[in-house]
Parts: sequence; structure tokens; C-alpha cells
Amino acid sequence: MSTFFKATLLVLLAFFWQLTLAGIQRKVTARIHRRVGSPWYQNFIDLFKTWSKSSISHGFIYDFGVLMALGGTIATLIFVPAGHIVVFDKLDNFFVIVYLLAVGSLGMAMSAVGSGNPWASIGVMRALTQMLAYEIPYIMTVFGIIYANKTASIHAIAQAQQTMGILGWNMFRMPLGVIVGFISLMGMLGKKPYDAPIAPAEIASGPLVEYGGKHLGMLMLQHEFATFVEVGLFVNLFLGGGTLIAFLIKYFIVYILATMIASVVARFKIDQLVVFYYKVPLALALIQTAIVIFTGLGVSIWL
Amino acid sequence: MALNTLILFILLGGLITYFVSKINSKTGAWLTVIISLVSLFVIYSMKDSSGVILNVFNYGNYSLNLVTSNYAWYFSIVMVLVYSMVSFFNPYWMEKVIHPAAYNLFYLLSLGGTLGVFYSKDFLTLFIFWELVVWSSMFIIPLGKSRRATVVYYGISTIGSFSMLYAILMLNVKYGTFDIQTNIQNMSNDPKFAVLFFFLIIMAGLTKLGIFPFYTWLPIAHGNAPHTFSPVLSGGLVKMGGFIAFLMTAVLPTSKVFANHLNILNNPYENYILMILGAISIIIGTLMAIKQDDAKKLIAYSTVSNSGYILIGLAMVDQTGFAGGMMHVFNHAMASAAMFLSFAAIAYRTGTTKISELGGLIKRMPVTFTAYLIAIISLAGIPPMSGFASKWLIYQGLIRKGNMFIAFAAFFGSVGSFMYVFRPLAGAFLGQLSPKHKEIKEVPFWMQLPMLVISGLTILYGVYPGLMLKYIAKIQETVGLKAIEVEGFKILTPNGMWDSWIVTLVFTIGFIIATILYFVLPKSKSVDLMDTYTSAEFIYDPDKYHYSSNYYAPFERLYAKHPSVEKFYNAIALRVNELGQLIKTWFFNENPAFTVFWISIVITAIFMWGDKI
Repeated sequence: MSTFFKATLLVLLAFFWQLTLAGIQRKVTARIHRRVGSPWYQNFIDLFKTWSKSSISHGFIYDFGVLMALGGTIATLIFVPAGHIVVFDKLDNFFVIVYLLAVGSLGMAMSAVGSGNPWASIGVMRALTQMLAYEIPYIMTVFGIIYANKTASIHAIAQAQQTMGILGWNMFRMPLGVIVGFISLMGMLGKKPYDAPIAPAEIASGPLVEYGGKHLGMLMLQHEFATFVEVGLFVNLFLGGGTLIAFLIKYFIVYILATMIASVVARFKIDQLVVFYYKVPLALALIQTAIVIFTGLGVSIWL
Repeated sequence: MALNTLILFILLGGLITYFVSKINSKTGAWLTVIISLVSLFVIYSMKDSSGVILNVFNYGNYSLNLVTSNYAWYFSIVMVLVYSMVSFFNPYWMEKVIHPAAYNLFYLLSLGGTLGVFYSKDFLTLFIFWELVVWSSMFIIPLGKSRRATVVYYGISTIGSFSMLYAILMLNVKYGTFDIQTNIQNMSNDPKFAVLFFFLIIMAGLTKLGIFPFYTWLPIAHGNAPHTFSPVLSGGLVKMGGFIAFLMTAVLPTSKVFANHLNILNNPYENYILMILGAISIIIGTLMAIKQDDAKKLIAYSTVSNSGYILIGLAMVDQTGFAGGMMHVFNHAMASAAMFLSFAAIAYRTGTTKISELGGLIKRMPVTFTAYLIAIISLAGIPPMSGFASKWLIYQGLIRKGNMFIAFAAFFGSVGSFMYVFRPLAGAFLGQLSPKHKEIKEVPFWMQLPMLVISGLTILYGVYPGLMLKYIAKIQETVGLKAIEVEGFKILTPNGMWDSWIVTLVFTIGFIIATILYFVLPKSKSVDLMDTYTSAEFIYDPDKYHYSSNYYAPFERLYAKHPSVEKFYNAIALRVNELGQLIKTWFFNENPAFTVFWISIVITAIFMWGDKI
């Protein structure tokens, strides 16, 4: 029963926290652009408004894909530890989370292409290409972390960092890794300069071009949940997790930092993006992992 | 039925099928279904048999013997399952192949041959059955589209076969026996020579698995073989290479025999070379699969990539990675068979496998779509399908040993597989339905059945991988490895655990929440696929409005000018061709002057040497 309770709590936390932050993010971007911006609760309004509107459906797979996307992302969310809230201890395996998240992406991609609009197909093509770009450096960095900690459990990795105080965070022990992690995180979140899949001005919002009403609302919710998973993973892997309050504060800082960077840069073309990810972050990730494996630096010798 | 009787039954059954097919090809094709189903049940009944020696054939001092073992059972049940499932497609294919009778005969001969390979007690038996499979599949491939495919297939298979034959004969000269166990015992005591035999024999495995640099036959042969034989080639026969790799890495315990040799990242260098080759295959297979427009070639390249996973898993020879490699044999067999079958079904109805000519088939062929979807989820390694369990185990093994460069390839192939499996899904099944395919129907029930069974097995072993891993644990004990730990639905590894049941359950709950939300919210209005946002353009042609050719154009551009081993092979082929031309001009010329020249040379020689001749 407590598992069920914790899971519900986690989903509710993700819902309120991430939607609030998404509103704050809009405000922050607006201020950087010297605009006033929408109020912090705007995203709640948007979500409930889309849910109440009428919508169209392009057939079975269009609906099914949306369900798969939202369902898969909620399932993934439950495995991410947030501070003290660890729903399945020891089962929060990194690869399980990364691959479960793919269920959500696959559902969304299927639904979008199932709408029959070529803009959506182009967006999905870009999203999958971008995924190949950012996932590899990210996983290679985490490879080093898992190798060093001898466990793939996110919660165990977070706890291992806390025992050594602030300098025990992987952020300080693996400085190259955290750079890779952050760049990959921005790619995962689809923030500028890595927002080629959405690109409203070029391909009419890509995968989202056909959506409206409750379908759009559910995909917005899916996006916020996915954001919670991605930022949550980053906080746990590199910033040591911590208590619930510490977790949320770190989450806030990471997310707003990503937003601030995103609000002042332009967009990569999709092929430039792949080349960039394979030139800089992948090289850094390989160096970082090689250091961890061959020298043990960043694991045992530090402090 | 005992095993040797079964193999004779299949081979004789093949001959009977041949004559029946001459009279009525459809009846003959149903006979192949019956015979392969019978062999499935017989093989299944031998689940727990091991160490039983059976004789097939005697001649003088030599005899061909079979021996049962749990690993032979594992490989053969995968193979027979693929054969028996694919055979349901045969009756519907009889009008389309050129020689139906020969097709049925060779279908069964290759089935009998594979069983002989897995159960062989000595290397001679193994080689004879191996060649039986190679030859019978060699005759099936040209029944499809291209004859050149056979030449490429046989040419590359020959490299492996000859190198294995050479090694086997050397072993016989050195130790005086063909027996596998005895030879392996002798090799273990003599690691210096074992290296040589290891590489010579495993060459046959590498050519069959389609590992770099021998991968080039897969896309050509799989792409051009009859649509019903491609699933067997990719799902089944490729795994024979896996069996050879298994024999040479685990039965000959490389981790122990070569332990004192140069170690690279905790692996003996012999194993590390195999892993490197596997890693290169993964990357090449992925990148090439992304480029293909023909779905069958795409799946063939994905086979190259997945063979890389199998080889890496087997070459690790440890507790987790090895179990992953073994399980991947089954998973890939099921996934690739299902993918090939669903495209065979599409080709049956539409006559093409080119992705750019298809589209929107989901409404017409929902069962085929479901089978394909489940297969790709498994192939891409997404839980809760069985492909995840094996890939996860391979990752755990790689991380444990710190094999970061191999792991890089494994992750690249895994994420890249999302790209190439999605392309047929988007191009053939989703999107706009072409008007010329408006009238097509779902394939008949007997063609749906194998796809449904395979999908069911994929889900079953995904939710409950323990069922299979328990058996793999036994195999690991047989070959002297630490067995994988399985506790009900849980798989325990030193790096963490994986509970498929909880993940499936949570996933189901998430899906139910989404569904409830969906039905609570206002109902949506159903509209046509052509009724979409077009930036105010008036668009009326669904074919032109369907995005499927050059799907990954921006990404493909990045490696458009890649170096290719095929160019090297073509260069060799050109030289051989030139040599042949030269010989032809000199000795077999139509010009009488050459004949007169050679005759005068011979006469001169006779006169010059005079009485010596």
C-alpha cells in the first residue's frame, strides 16, 4: 500500500512542481527578452483549457500512440527517485528508466506519423536523429559512474555521493562528465539550441502539428513528466540527490539554468547538431570514462 | 522418435515432399508444415535429454554420431521454431517461386541439416551437415529475385567452410580424432595451438553470423531470397554461426584456456578481437540499415548489427554478458523472423517491399502491423519485450568489466536501432494510404497465425525472462561458467537487478491512467487522413503527401562518403575475373590460331625432349 501511496505522491509532485516551473520558465525567458511574460500558473490554465476543448482524431494509432506516450512516461516517472520518495528501491535501474522513457517517445512518434502529416514525420525523423546524438555521450558518461559505483541503481548512486559531503558529488568528482550531462540534458529537453524536432518556424511544430484539444493536452502533460524524469536523473546522477527539499532546489537551479541558456541562443540544424554532439560531448565523455576506468581518478583518489 | 530417426525422417520427408510437390505444389507445401511441426514437437520432447549418443551413418572406420546436450537443444528449438512458424507461409508462396518442388525439398533439407549441426558429436558430422545447410540454402536463394546473390552467399560461406575444414583436418592429423569433446580437451591442454584452431574454426561462425568483414552477403542474400526464406535465413541459419561461436568460446572455455595470454580490459586478446569485430558489425549494420529503402535489406543489416550483440555476449564468457548473448540468440531469431514475415505478408498483398512505395497499411493489415510493432519494440530493446532482457544483460556484463569501447558500439547500435526500425513502421504502415492499395485485405488466417505466435512468445519471455534464463543458467553450468541468478521474475546481477513483472505492472497502470484520462475528456471527432494541416496548400495526392523516401537524409549525408569493404571485394572479384578472361583467351579461344599455337608448342616440346617423354 505504501508503494501505491508513494507512487501517487511522486506523480502529483511531478505534476505540480514541473508545471509550476514550466510557468516560471516562461516568465524567465520573457524577462531575458525584455517582455513581461505570462503569470507562473499559465501552464495549468493551458493544460486544463486544452483538455476541455474539442479535438480531432486521425484513426486508431493516433489515439493509441498518445495513450502509450502518456502511460509510458507516467510509468517511467514512478521509477525515478526524488529525494526520500523512492518507490521501488533497487529497481530504479538507469537502463530501465532510459529505455522505459523510449516507450513514451515511441508512442508519440507513432501517433504523430499516424496523423499522416509529413511535417510530423520530418519532426519525428529529427527527434530520432537527435536522440542518437545526445544519448550516446550521456550513456557513456553514466557508464563511468555505474562502473565506479558498482551499481546501476539511481538511488544508490545518489546516496553514495551524499556520504562525502558537497565535494562528493559527481559534479565535482567528474567535472567533464557533468558538462556532457548538462549538454545532453538540454538536448533531451529539446531546449534551444537543440530544438530542431519542434522548430515551429520551419516545420510547423513538427510532431505536434496535427494535435489539438485533449490530445495536445495529454502530450503537453507527457512532455512535463518526461522533463521531470530527465532533470531528476541529472540531479540524482551528478548533484547527489539529497532530501526532498534539496532535490527540488537543485532541480530548480538546473532547469532555470537550462532555460536561461536556451533563451539567448539560436537553433542548430539537425546535421550540425549530430556533428557537434559527436565532436565535443562524446569526446569529453570518452575521456571522462577512460579516466574513471583506467586511473580510478574521480572515484577513490579524490579526497 | 529418437533424434537420428528424426533427422532421417526430415531428409526422407524432404524427398517425398519433392515428388508430391511435382504433382501438387500446395499439398507439398503443407507437407513441409507438417514435417516441421512434427520436428518441433519431437525436439521439444527431448528437453532434458543430455549425453545420449546416437548413430546416423557408418562407413568403414568412420561413423557419424550425434549427442544430445542442453545447449544443442536450446539452439535447435530456436531454429525449429523459426522453421515451423515460417513454413505456414510456404503454401501461399507456391505460385511465386520458380521451382516449388525444389523449394520444398531444400527447405526441409536445410532444417535437417541444422539439427545435425547442433547435435553433432564429432567435427566431421558437424561439417557434413553444415555443408548440407549451406548447399540447400544456396539453391533456394536464386528462386527469389537474383542469381548473383547466390554467388556472393556461397563465395563468402566458402571462406568459413574451408577454413573450418582445414582446422578440422589439422586437428585430426594432430590428435587422431574428430570427436569434439576430445579435441577440445586436447586443445585446452595446449593453448598455443588452440589459438590457431580457435581462429580457423570461428571463421566459419563469423561468416555465417555476418560479422565484419564478412557481412556483405547478408543484405544481398536476405534481400533477394524468396520472401518466405528470408526469415529462416536471418532468424535461423545465421544462428548456426552463433552456435560455432558458442562452441569455440564457451565449450572450449576461452576465458580459462587463454587466461594467461595478453589481457585487454579483462578479456584475453582472442576474445577481445571477436568483441571488436562484433562492435564494428554493430556500428556498420546500424549505419547501413538507416540508409536502406528496401525493407528486407534494412532488416538484413539489422541482423548484422544484432549478430554483433550475440558475438559480444558470447565472447565475454562471463555470468551476465554471456547469458545476455545466449538469450539474444532467441530474441533476435523471433524479432527478425517476425519482421521478415510481416514484410513477406506485405509483399504477398502488394508485391513490393520498398518502403517508399508503401504507406498507411495499418488500416488494411492490422495484424501484420501488430506483429511488426511488437517485433521492433523487442529488437530495439524496450521493456517489457524480451529484447530488453538480453540487451540489458549484455550492458551489465560490459559495464562490469569496464569495456567502454565495446559498450560505446553497443549503445550506439541500440539507440540507432530506434531509427532504422521506425522507418518501415512510418513509411509502410503509417501515414497516407496510397490509392492503389485501397482494396487490399489482411493476409489469410494461416499466415497471421505464425506472426501471432511469435509475438506472443516475445511478450511471454519479456514479461517472464526467467523462464528462459533458468535454462540458460543450466547451459552455463554445463560449460563451467557461473550461472545467471534468477528469482522468479527477478534477474539479479552484481550491478543491480531487473524485475520484469513490476515494470510490466507499472507500465500497465500508467497506460490505464492515460486511458481513463482519455475517456473522461470530451470525445474527439474522427477525420480523414488527408484532412490535415497543409499551410493552406490544396493537396489532393496521398502518394505525394506521404513522407517516406530519403527518410533520414540529413543524417545519411554525414556518412555518405564512407569507406566500404565491398569496394575491396569488388576489386578482388575484378582481378579474379581478369585472370579467368586471360585463361579463357589463351586456352579456350575460338580463334584457330591459338589452337595451332598450342599444338605446335606441344609438338615442339615432344621433339625437343625426344625419348624422355
